Amino acid sequence: MMTEIASPAPERAQSPRRSRLRASLAKDRKAQFGLIVLAIFFLGMLLAPILAPYDPNEMTLDMMQGLSWSHPLGTDDLGRDLWSRILYGTQISLFVGVVTVAIALIIGVVLGVVAGYYGGWIDLVIMRYIDLQWAFPNFIIAVYLVAVFGTGLLNVIVAISLAFIDDFARVARSMTLSLREEQFVLAARSMGVSDGRIIMRHIIPSAMAPIIVQATVSVSYAILGEATLSFLGLGVEATTPTWGLILAEGRGFISQAWWLGVFPGLAIMLVVLSINFVGDWLRDVLDVRETV
Amino acid sequence: MSAYLARRFVGALLVMWAVATLVFFMLRFVPGDPIAAMLADAGSEEAAAALRAKLGLDQPLIVQYFYWIANVLQGDFGNSIYGNNQPVATIIAEALPRTLSLAFISFVIAIAIAVPAGVISATRRNTMTDNTVSFVAFLGLSMPDFWLAILLIIVFAANLQWLPAIGYVPLEDGFWPWLEHLLLPAVATGTAFAAIIARMIRSSLLEVMNRDFIRTARAKGLTARHVMWRHALPNAMIPVITVVGIAFALLISGAVVVENVFAIKGLGRVLIDGILNRDYPVVQGAVLIVSAFFVFSNLAVDLLYGVIDPRIRYA
Amino acid sequence: MSDDRLKAAMKSAWQDAHDFDPRDPLYGLSRDELSGPRLSRRATLRLLAAGGTLTAAHLMPGGLGQAIAAAKKGGTLTAGWAGVSEIVTLDPAQMGQVLQFQITSNVLSGLTHINADLIAEADIAEGWEVSADGLTYIFKLREGLTFHNGDAFDAEDLIFTYNRSKDPEKSIHSGNLANVASVEKLNDFEVKFTLKAPQASFLTKTTERASGRALTIVSRGALESMGTAQYGLTPVGTGPFRITEHQLGQGVVMERFDGFYDPERPHLDKVVIKPIDGAEPLAAAVEAGDIQFVGGNPVAAQLIDRFKSNPDLVVDIKPGPGFQSVWINPHRDPMKVESFDKPLAELKKEKGFMVRLALAKALNRDLYVQQARFGYAFPAYGTINPAMGFYYDEGIAETSEQAYDPEGAKQLLADAGYPGGEGFPELELTVRPSERRDGLVIANILKQELGITLNVATQEFSVLIENFLKMEFDMRLGGSGGDYDPDDGVVDWMMSDSKFNGRTRDKAKYPIGYFADSEADALIKKQSVTAKPDDRRALVQEANKITSDKVASGFLYHPVDVLIHSKDVVFPAVSRIPGLTDLDRVSFA
Repeated sequence: MMTEIASPAPERAQSPRRSRLRASLAKDRKAQFGLIVLAIFFLGMLLAPILAPYDPNEMTLDMMQGLSWSHPLGTDDLGRDLWSRILYGTQISLFVGVVTVAIALIIGVVLGVVAGYYGGWIDLVIMRYIDLQWAFPNFIIAVYLVAVFGTGLLNVIVAISLAFIDDFARVARSMTLSLREEQFVLAARSMGVSDGRIIMRHIIPSAMAPIIVQATVSVSYAILGEATLSFLGLGVEATTPTWGLILAEGRGFISQAWWLGVFPGLAIMLVVLSINFVGDWLRDVLDVRETV
Repeated sequence: MSAYLARRFVGALLVMWAVATLVFFMLRFVPGDPIAAMLADAGSEEAAAALRAKLGLDQPLIVQYFYWIANVLQGDFGNSIYGNNQPVATIIAEALPRTLSLAFISFVIAIAIAVPAGVISATRRNTMTDNTVSFVAFLGLSMPDFWLAILLIIVFAANLQWLPAIGYVPLEDGFWPWLEHLLLPAVATGTAFAAIIARMIRSSLLEVMNRDFIRTARAKGLTARHVMWRHALPNAMIPVITVVGIAFALLISGAVVVENVFAIKGLGRVLIDGILNRDYPVVQGAVLIVSAFFVFSNLAVDLLYGVIDPRIRYA
Repeated sequence: MSDDRLKAAMKSAWQDAHDFDPRDPLYGLSRDELSGPRLSRRATLRLLAAGGTLTAAHLMPGGLGQAIAAAKKGGTLTAGWAGVSEIVTLDPAQMGQVLQFQITSNVLSGLTHINADLIAEADIAEGWEVSADGLTYIFKLREGLTFHNGDAFDAEDLIFTYNRSKDPEKSIHSGNLANVASVEKLNDFEVKFTLKAPQASFLTKTTERASGRALTIVSRGALESMGTAQYGLTPVGTGPFRITEHQLGQGVVMERFDGFYDPERPHLDKVVIKPIDGAEPLAAAVEAGDIQFVGGNPVAAQLIDRFKSNPDLVVDIKPGPGFQSVWINPHRDPMKVESFDKPLAELKKEKGFMVRLALAKALNRDLYVQQARFGYAFPAYGTINPAMGFYYDEGIAETSEQAYDPEGAKQLLADAGYPGGEGFPELELTVRPSERRDGLVIANILKQELGITLNVATQEFSVLIENFLKMEFDMRLGGSGGDYDPDDGVVDWMMSDSKFNGRTRDKAKYPIGYFADSEADALIKKQSVTAKPDDRRALVQEANKITSDKVASGFLYHPVDVLIHSKDVVFPAVSRIPGLTDLDRVSFA
């Protein structure tokens, strides 16, 4: 009963925020573009089996054929249809991008909030670890983890997720530190509301804006990271192709078959660009300061 | 101040020690036997045992670790376990100038593009120019650097043949050959960096322009140009510097992929090859150097920020 | 010599070479003709004719052994070394890669060196005598030579090299000297080797400077003054070129050595070697004229046609000395075989063997060569490669049980309980990262032919070789390069205790490696000590056939050896040794 007293704070922010979102989206052409492109790619991912004219792994002796009606984006060095491969590649790229960030977000936010909320030695231990990871570029961590665990979809996901934890932990911690002293949190505390409940009901919802922005940016980095790992031969080795892998495979043939070097990269760029547009719009509308 | 400095310095060293320790032990759990790879062609059991003993790989892990730490403290990073056992210090010393050259040129290119771009889009806020700059910056951020590298090779090396496709020439062999080999890779690594800086400068400038002292300067009748270059920009650069410090270290790691495409044996490549070959001493050495870059550039930025804090300057 | 007289001489040499009993091409030749500095011309020509590789070029007066007259002197050759980012070591005691001994073959000397027909010739030895029992070799060394650093060369350097290579702590080639009982200095320029058992490959494997490496002469003085690490970068020897600079990842610079034993050689003043990883950068460098010669790892197959159509380039293709196989682990289901040591007919009744044979029979090698190698490779059915000429079995493509037979393969798989691939487990095919494309093609072929699924997994070489030697794999793509002597194929790969045959496996768990057959073992052992080439050939081919029939592995292809250089570069036929890049006779036009 009494716990409800403080809850209006985040909820009150909800409905104006939603209409503000809609209003600003109408003005932001880049965000519109981004959302549309992402929607197209998302549809492409779902409908790949229908839209792809060929099995993406079907090899023929029509190797490195240029663009034609039967092969809209040409064929690769093993006679596989590039359009079908890129279409199927959407699945892994988007999947890895979203799943890794979801994992990193959950672990990172829990670590950050716990550290910020409890402080003391818990904060010290967690932050020492976060600092340690912070001392390393995310990509180097991912490469290193893949080398330790081996290649493969699951390992790539684990590696990229772990590499992003520190980013979320930092954002969540700094938000928690400021929220901890806010009136509504202090009030809830003084009324004996349990820590878990305060964290779940008050802190995390209020800290969501910067975390959402961070997550959006991270998805684009995760997609780039997966592509880069695949490009270096450290990536997913599934039967379905990934964009980075298609680029890596085509790398030895680009001057004979330019399409192998251009289209998969274009796909990566379009998705990442769209996510960045959307992220930028969210940052504006949620009023989050830009950080790197 | 000096106590603070000392504390930060010791903290940085501790982080590096922790990184090194973590890497040392994790690397030992990586599957793969370097000895088997070395002897692939001509090995016998005795030869493998002899080699293992020679490299100290037969010692207990903890003993290997203490030897390694003791040696590192004396400036000895050990020897590569491949080929003719080059000292790790030599390998890194050879790779470092390449990566630093690349990072330096990327940095110069990025700043040369980012500062004018940022200033222009801030002064012509919400015009066509601003929108174009912002769009191009987004493109730069979104392009995978290895893809950009491939495109650059297709266009400038393979087709136009203006610049070499691969390799590195040390500065001692002449300025132009050095620069010529670094231009394409530097553009590939520097583009994303330029995009970040340009956006930073734009938003920082917009904020500064609204401050009182700029209004005062304008009110005093100074030209817009003077206000921009003498007052607004230097102040707008302060938050940018923090980003530059971090991003410079990021450039070094971004170089990993680009070095791979352009066949430059820099620090990133040394690290990746070392991991792939299970060349323990090389990985440990390279990791120490890379983390040192990160830790100390972060430290330097923090200190620098304290020194040029605007509140001190404009109080 | 006038043209007519030359033609007549060549014709008679041709007839003489072919005038032999095909079962014994060396009949009527004395044992002296088998001692060095090289096999007699008659013996050589007959071997070539018998192997079907005799060409008119061999019949030119002096044969291939004579340098082309009046080569232009001077010039700097810039060479690209393909498929490698740095040349880690050039210390003969540590080298294991062809791309490394391609370089040292220009810098260091051996007692012998193989020629373009893979027959050993004298190098720093002037000649040698073999005892009747084949157990002792007395080498006469050249006198008055100096190392690149000015030190004089004599028998002590050979003894020093021998002791260094014998020590497993200092050399990875100690195994190659296992058959040497003792080495004795007779005087400053004569050395006697005593073997434990006769060894037909002694001159091409043990004393050879490139593929052998165990007795590639190193400089005592230089090793002492510069230390092992530096010596590995800039080794000092007695060869035609001396290394003046070597920066890891940047390249090697070699300059003409004036004190070489043949004052005519080398022709070039300087050679710059740049490692170039990746197909596209290599193509760009070649096409821009930045490099005039390509060495190193085999050039990416997709570039061969492109280079061939380039009017500024010379592209010469020969069979390469090596083989590649799909290794099938006999300890894993469903291709389990407990013992190969039984008659073939009985083996063929076992389900595990049926699967193995089905896999090998289903390997559509022609399609593989076309798709994976762009047409540039030869189908393989054994470890003995066509570059070995005389020892290669031309008929094996038809006679082997592994001959491509899609219907037979399907039938075998059905008989083993997997009709149409149904119920067949998904197996893993491990390959190196650079071989991923090849792995995909193999998986695709087996999917099409047998309806089975292979997952292609890439592993770094260090991991892959460890698992291979431990017998921890389902299937693996791999093989050998630089195989000049039959021993490089059958001894190194096909015996129960061959060095690659599950060397570090858990012997309690896996009693054999990938293959063990006592009949093959006996034949291989015997051919090793058979000095008469024709007798040896019969033994080699019989052993090779057994390993093929019993599916020691699914033999896949023999690589091609491709020589690529610009039109301005003269690369004489005598230097055209498969796999090697001897530049001492190379000049600019």
